[in-house]
Amino acid sequence: MATEYITRMGDGRKVTMTKEEIRADIETGIGEAVDAAEVPELSGDEIDHLLEIVASKEKLVTVEHGKEVVLSLDGGSISIESEHGSGIPCGRINGVVMEERAYCLDVLELAHMDYSYKPVKPLTAVECQTMRQLQEITTTPLLYGAMPNMGLYYTPDGPYENPGDLMKAFKIQEAQDSIEKSAEHLTRDMIWILQKMMKNGGADGANFDTMAAAGDGDFYSALNAIEALRKEYPEMYIEAGMASETVLGIHGELKYDGVNVAGLWPHKQVELVEKAGANVFGPVCNTNTTYSFAWNLARAVTVVKACSENATIPIHVNMGNGVGGIPMFEVPSTDTISRADKAMIEIANVDGI
Amino acid sequence: MYGVHSAVAGMNGMRTAGDLVARMQFAKSMRLPEAKEYVAQKLNVDAMDLADECMMREVREDLGLCTMTENIATPRGIASKMNIEKVLDLKINSCELFRNLSSIV
Amino acid sequence: MDKEQIFAELADSIVSCKKENVLDAVEKAKVELEPSEIIEMGLAPGMSKVGTLFEKGKLFLPHVMMAADAMNAGVDSLKDLMPDNDGESSMGVIVNGTVEGDVHDIGKSIVSTMLQSAGFEVYDVGRDVPIQVFIDKVREVGATMVGLSALMTTTLMGQKDVILKLEEEGLRESVKVMVGGSPATQVWADKIGADCYAENASEAVKKAKELLCA
Repeated sequence: MATEYITRMGDGRKVTMTKEEIRADIETGIGEAVDAAEVPELSGDEIDHLLEIVASKEKLVTVEHGKEVVLSLDGGSISIESEHGSGIPCGRINGVVMEERAYCLDVLELAHMDYSYKPVKPLTAVECQTMRQLQEITTTPLLYGAMPNMGLYYTPDGPYENPGDLMKAFKIQEAQDSIEKSAEHLTRDMIWILQKMMKNGGADGANFDTMAAAGDGDFYSALNAIEALRKEYPEMYIEAGMASETVLGIHGELKYDGVNVAGLWPHKQVELVEKAGANVFGPVCNTNTTYSFAWNLARAVTVVKACSENATIPIHVNMGNGVGGIPMFEVPSTDTISRADKAMIEIANVDGI
Repeated sequence: MYGVHSAVAGMNGMRTAGDLVARMQFAKSMRLPEAKEYVAQKLNVDAMDLADECMMREVREDLGLCTMTENIATPRGIASKMNIEKVLDLKINSCELFRNLSSIV
Repeated sequence: MDKEQIFAELADSIVSCKKENVLDAVEKAKVELEPSEIIEMGLAPGMSKVGTLFEKGKLFLPHVMMAADAMNAGVDSLKDLMPDNDGESSMGVIVNGTVEGDVHDIGKSIVSTMLQSAGFEVYDVGRDVPIQVFIDKVREVGATMVGLSALMTTTLMGQKDVILKLEEEGLRESVKVMVGGSPATQVWADKIGADCYAENASEAVKKAKELLCA
């Protein structure tokens, strides 16, 4: 009887599979990435290495000496201190210092509980004050992070009519107009907040997290904000991370630098992010819960490797609950995290996580 | 989850030279090998040793780059970042703001 | 021209997302085919192809809506040739919304749009929807399915609460329940007694067809 290895499904459930079954899933996962993202497949050696990583008998696997990467963080200390995250009863300043001194992160992030630029705007002075206090006691690079989250600019949260409602009523032009107006407003807000953060808060820079969460208009808006900030602050640290693997085409015709931003996959997204002026790009590859961990990881590594090869700036791949090949589960298993990390570093050649 | 990433894949921030490598990635858009090589050269160590706690503790102490545990004389915060500016040959925004506000040239 | 060629032309006209192309293709097809064949073998497969292209990121939401609009125009142009009620939507009535406490709207809206463009009668009740609103809408429109979206682990439980309320109100037997949103999984759907889980908008259409049109 063939040896069975402990592995998982995309929803985190533990299953056992033979090496042949794992290899077959790796190959179909790669095939799916090649077909969907139009990227090159992994080589035979890379498939063998991936198989070795997934089918390791050890609970945890690690990278080789010298291959360690930089760890940055989305969401700042929200996931440490808030009730939404670990629920540790501490304030933001304590949380960020914990990021530096307990979690040993290489890049820190200050974020507001709402984690979107729009609600932060009226609180910018307070955010600047906290940033300054933290800059005086920390050594590690410290960014201000939030999501563009353009959905907050649509009714009932914002001033512009909801394009989803307009689309359903076949008012396509009106929907596109609403997206364009929201994008312009969002760009203006992000620039204003981050100007203050650089000038008055002494921030090292900003993290534009979960770009394109509200589709192509959201991504377009963030790219324009990055471009404007880069012009004004040549030394600003800018991280640009995605919400999902492709840019949803809700407008469908928005162009940045002559390229339609809808439907782009990470290897093409990074070209625009670089043009806009970001220093670091955070690609996403989503986990499909109905397929195995091997299938998901192979697919994610194939997509991210193409992105990493096409990039000239560092790539900090999103690795967590439901992204980067890691199963969709609120407390992802340590065995899958360690395997996904190793595969992303040793096969996809990412610069950070 | 941070703990797993740190243990299996991370440079581990101020325990080693992770924060310095990260700074070069962000300040100059350097890919990882280039950033590691740059920092290693500036610290006069081998790039392989940048994630070595024993080696880097001593280097950080000697250069005043802040260490994870401190005695009273170890620089931290703005003071450590001013030392990082000199070692890595770059400007840091919070140090610039501090200098502007305090009239330090 | 053989039937297969006519079906292909009809499907292609839908994929072009242009109303005039669809009306031209339907006009030509009328000479050779029955209205039901035009719809089921030509226009509907075209809409499925649009869904696939949307899923692959080759077509975007406005194109899906333009294709759906063109399909409606094509079906309307056949109405005079069809017996009473033929061609009317009989696929199912779906109430779709994001559960209370969760303000995420976009993914749920895309699902509504895709279901609508596939021919379902869809009532999108919005986001942050109180349980009673789902119940009242199901009663009001005679829904055969309820779609429940949640994008946060903290609001996922709201899907279970709606199912419990449907049971309490004696409605559970008459409506299928579909759940979705990034923290939802098949295991979760099984655990709370939903009839299906959909990973994305295209799968939502597929699962709705399986459950309501079989």
